[in-house]
Amino acid sequence: MTKPWPTRLLLAYPPGWRARYGDELDLLVNDLCEDGRRPVPMAIDLISGAAAAWCGIRRGFAMSERSRNALITVLWSWVAFAATAAWFGHDLAIYPSRSAAPVIGRAHPAVPDAYHVLLAAGVVGLAATAIAAVAFAVEAARAARTQRRYRTFALMAVPLVVAGVWLGGTQLLGSGSDTTARMTFAVFWLLLGLAGIAGATQIVAKIVRMTDFSAATWRIGSAAATAVTAAMLVGTGATITWGLAFRAGQGHNPGDSWLIVTAILAVTTGRAAIALIGSRRATSPEPAVA
Amino acid sequence: MEFTEPVVLVLTSLAEGPKHGYALAKDIEGFAGVKLGPGTLYGALSRLEDRGWIEALPADDRRRPYRITAKGAESLGAHLAAAQRVATTGLRRLELRPAR
Repeated sequence: MTKPWPTRLLLAYPPGWRARYGDELDLLVNDLCEDGRRPVPMAIDLISGAAAAWCGIRRGFAMSERSRNALITVLWSWVAFAATAAWFGHDLAIYPSRSAAPVIGRAHPAVPDAYHVLLAAGVVGLAATAIAAVAFAVEAARAARTQRRYRTFALMAVPLVVAGVWLGGTQLLGSGSDTTARMTFAVFWLLLGLAGIAGATQIVAKIVRMTDFSAATWRIGSAAATAVTAAMLVGTGATITWGLAFRAGQGHNPGDSWLIVTAILAVTTGRAAIALIGSRRATSPEPAVA
Repeated sequence: MEFTEPVVLVLTSLAEGPKHGYALAKDIEGFAGVKLGPGTLYGALSRLEDRGWIEALPADDRRRPYRITAKGAESLGAHLAAAQRVATTGLRRLELRPAR
């Protein structure tokens, strides 16, 4: 039995699209022809569908679910990286004590260099995150208002409220004597802060998942994810360099904390980089990927 | 995602249960009187699958059924509720329009 002639128009579709839906569409055209559908309107519809499929691929990177997941993975990795790097950077500035730090810094220039590189990477990452956050927040708020999803506004307020409450508590902690109770509360407050960061990140990820953002906003997100991942790579490199320089100068490793920090930074950086590369490879077989 | 007519028709059809391409085309023709072309139908299916609003099930003799996801059902519900508000308002205003 010969196939109806409109099935030949499937060749007009992009190769990737055809590989996924070609067989099914071929079968449907056959079925509809047997059902008595006229071939000419069907052929026009297929040509129009092929044009739309090519246009869809041009928007592919911006719109695909894989890109959305990659962006969320980069966000989680960045949050874990930033929390670890902030702790390590703080230690680096006072290691092994506030009085000894400048002495070590003069003897081993890699120490202050690593601190400054880590600080610069943090600033770049935070700036990129802030720019993307504003673009995503504006569009999420617009979509929530249009679709009357008022729950989104409540979700958007949570990270700000958590940050405000935590910073307020930190201010209170700063004005007291170093008692055991105060130190215990400080540790509790630190853990609460980490839980708050994780909760706020989860909420941001939820908003990103439930909102339809424009291609322009996705591009901003993609550029920010690239900048953040690059900053993470530089920061991880600086931390490794610092440890190696310290070992060369002192004759021993800077301690278990350095190994743990380096491992966390390397894993989070690797995870972000793999997610970012994976999202681009997913659309790379097709031409003209945005 | 923009709620084009094919997107709404496909989601509404899948709200009843999983269907493959031909079953979708026949069902939509039955309840909406719209003869969706194969290119339009699969264009909508690919966009919906990409967005995570529908998912493909294992193929049965080259025919691959699709089913609506929880996310797709939620989005369709929100869209239809908004459309119903517009339809109710429009119909009420038409009834109140003075005869000429």
